[in-house]
Amino acid sequence: MIEVRNLRKSFKELVAVENVSFSAKDGEITGLIGPNGAGKTTTMRILYTIMRPDSGQALVDGFDAVADPQQVQRRIGVLPDNRGLYPRLTAREHVRYYGRLHGMKGEALESAIEEMIDTLVMRDVADRRTKGFSKGQTLKVALARALVHKPHNVMLDEPTNGLDVDSSRAVRDMVRRIRDEGRCVLFSSHIMSEVQALCDRIIVMGHGRIVAEGTPDDLADLTGEADLEEIFVAIARDEAELKKRTEFEALKETLDA
Amino acid sequence: MLEKVWIIARKELTDNLRDRRSTILSLLYPLIGPVLLGALVLFVGSTLTAPKVQEHVVVAQGSDNAPEFVAFVREQGADVVETEIEDVADAVRKGMHSSILVFPEDFADTFGDERNAEIQLYIDSSRLSSIMSIGRTVELINRFNRNTADTRLAAHEVDPQIAYPLTMKSVNVAASLSISGIFLNMMAPFLMFNIFIGGVYLAIDATAGERERGSLEPLLANPVPRWQFMLGKYIASFLFTALAVLMAIVAYKSIFSGLGMLGVGIKVNPGLSDFTFVFILCIPIMLMAVAIQMIVATVSKSFKETQTYLGLLPLLPALPGMIMVFVPIQASAWAMLIPTYGQTILIGQLVRGETPDYGFMALSCLATTVVAMVLLVMAARLYNRENMAFAN
Repeated sequence: MIEVRNLRKSFKELVAVENVSFSAKDGEITGLIGPNGAGKTTTMRILYTIMRPDSGQALVDGFDAVADPQQVQRRIGVLPDNRGLYPRLTAREHVRYYGRLHGMKGEALESAIEEMIDTLVMRDVADRRTKGFSKGQTLKVALARALVHKPHNVMLDEPTNGLDVDSSRAVRDMVRRIRDEGRCVLFSSHIMSEVQALCDRIIVMGHGRIVAEGTPDDLADLTGEADLEEIFVAIARDEAELKKRTEFEALKETLDA
Repeated sequence: MLEKVWIIARKELTDNLRDRRSTILSLLYPLIGPVLLGALVLFVGSTLTAPKVQEHVVVAQGSDNAPEFVAFVREQGADVVETEIEDVADAVRKGMHSSILVFPEDFADTFGDERNAEIQLYIDSSRLSSIMSIGRTVELINRFNRNTADTRLAAHEVDPQIAYPLTMKSVNVAASLSISGIFLNMMAPFLMFNIFIGGVYLAIDATAGERERGSLEPLLANPVPRWQFMLGKYIASFLFTALAVLMAIVAYKSIFSGLGMLGVGIKVNPGLSDFTFVFILCIPIMLMAVAIQMIVATVSKSFKETQTYLGLLPLLPALPGMIMVFVPIQASAWAMLIPTYGQTILIGQLVRGETPDYGFMALSCLATTVVAMVLLVMAARLYNRENMAFAN
């Protein structure tokens, strides 16, 4: 269970996230969607304890990411935007390192590693050093190390970014499996069709705010568009118009006064 | 708790050791100092222990005009060899001969008349290797001069002592009996260099490098306090530094022992206990150096920027030592409080065969350790910074 309440985060004068509240339930895939710069990554970074919010709360299974980062870290598996590997370690060593940092060891750790290797179909590269790995192979290693401790909450920042069709499908299958085990998945993407096909709930972000929220069907009803991509474009347009209108009103007020 | 620190340190060590090229390089660096010093001692030692007077050969021109001199030199066990070279100055400048003694045409007449005869000794004072040989020639000339004077004065029934009011004998009190011992002073600045270079690559790679490769962000999301990540990487860099310094010290000991066995150069050969003390004195500096490296690697924006800063850093602590090679400074309590400075003085004393003050050693270790710990806490605080994980 992931919960965000009135989150705000700014970098100097730029407001990255403003008044963002949502929750991602267990047994559901929650999609964060929006164009680049909408605030998806910042929201996620606050949730997985790498950034601190200016105000508001980010909670994972009821633990506060700022007050209790270690409790949060224990309950999450993260695939961040940055997913660099160590070129001189093998894929298996990456997974083992993260498993150990989660306090796993011995036989339990080794069998968990084996399981991840099978789940992600990466046995052919498991004992190769990761230097020169393709994007797909890199992603598999990054996913395996993020999930080896079987976290109850999984956060994936644009996991299919830059992947070929086969790898994207493998990722989607795995995400569904995690959901079916009753775990909580927060998933960000800017690929509309992917979110539509995969997510149980969708949160649309634009300019650091939530502009719409609901099931894919809800969102379709809301805008009268069946295709989520159209929905998204519509929302973005509305957002722009809204902004223009507000500016116009502000200007009018100034002129009136 | 510290189990995670060790997991992180071990990963960094494995990772770094697999980087063959930089590992080999960082283990070869420590050998540069010892090899260079050994070569210097060997070279200078051999020029300073020049052949004895008996084996010396005076190269001369016009020696036919001075048969008395030739006879005297041969009587002393040395020899005079006539050279046919036209341009005497050029021959000396090019180093063909250390010196050439020229007797003018009228030497025989002037000398025979017991008048003051001028002779010319061509030397090149910028050629260090000629010093001993020139000294031998000058010594022979002086002996001949005195011998001749004695004979002449005696013929006039004058006591020769009247002509020599002073007799000087210098008493050398240096602990190192050989002048090449001065090169031992260079060991301390070389060691400072090793300390600040030894684990620097690992420190940069594990922080600035990891951030640039984008692997720091997922790493920091693991359930480990940030200071433990810092400490794990710090320990790995420290162990690498310690290995480099240990290699350097072992190399110094081996080379000095080897030279000692060859009977070249240094008369003082620091023992195993001296080198153990040298290593102990280095430990607090290593703690400090690695903490500085962690701070710089955390604060700088990129791998390259870090490299630039840390490349210049080793010069700073090595500088006072470089000066002390020629101008040794007395040990004092305030000097012990300054990291790297006190140690340079103490290491110099140890390798020259002097016994340093144990209180000073303890003070120096303590002062530098305190500085190191303050820096380490600073490094841990910096690791808590929010933008720590991101390259931009």
